Amino acid sequence: MAETLVARSALRAHVAPPAAPAGAPGFTLREVPDLTLASVAALKGREAELAEAVRAAYGLDLPQGPKRVASGPVAFVGAGPGKWLAVSSAATDFSALPAAVADQSDGRSAFRLAGPKARETLATLIQVDLHPRAFGAGDVALTHAASIAVTLWQLDDEPSYEILMFRTYAATLWRWIVEAGRSRGVEARLAG
Amino acid sequence: MRIACPFCGPRGVDEFAYLGDATVKRPNADAPDALPAFVEYVYLRDNPAGLHRELWQHALGCQSWLVVTRNVRTHVIDQVEAARDVAAARSSEAE
Repeated sequence: MAETLVARSALRAHVAPPAAPAGAPGFTLREVPDLTLASVAALKGREAELAEAVRAAYGLDLPQGPKRVASGPVAFVGAGPGKWLAVSSAATDFSALPAAVADQSDGRSAFRLAGPKARETLATLIQVDLHPRAFGAGDVALTHAASIAVTLWQLDDEPSYEILMFRTYAATLWRWIVEAGRSRGVEARLAG
Repeated sequence: MRIACPFCGPRGVDEFAYLGDATVKRPNADAPDALPAFVEYVYLRDNPAGLHRELWQHALGCQSWLVVTRNVRTHVIDQVEAARDVAAARSSEAE
């Protein structure tokens, strides 16, 4: 009998404990659920065709370098030379793009950190300079946080960030962020 | 040591994996002297005290393969190029 596959979060309360600050929260930590993710790699000699297809389908100019562009639910994140990560908060099918497209939705987890202490907390885990003059809204960093490979981007100047990691590392990184945020008023809660 | 990745910018060496000598070139397997040429290619390495060209990969970053020209005595890095640009230049020279 065929079993129906159900998308489930990698986080459970016993491995990703919630945290509540004593006073006003310095920042909030939440999982970003149900993202559609796909890696998009340009085929040799067809970079212009891909850029044109993305412009036609989503109205976005593919970023050159580690940048993120977004329109509605869809965003493209620079993930290396000739490589992008297509992200969507809706059920978007990226497979028609003229490129090497591979779905990553079930392999990654994403968190959102928002609030005045989010930058300082991330700076304890990440070696990339997150100061506003070096890293602002739309900027992307492919790096590691506590030796866990992550893709980080800043959404706005609150500041809020989204951080993407391999699903099996989600609970570990959650605990790192909660621990780093404990003295910075982290308010962390699982969905539901 | 910090390596200036052409895509990501300068990053600590902990994000990179060393992948060997970038000066060796795969010999022609059909040439009559292929066996000694392959012994040289696979096993024998120069050990210069000074400038060296090395392959690195930005493994905990954008995954790019890089050719880093580095002074192994001082760790001063002269140049970082994308390995695919180096390979493309090399194959266009060969033509």
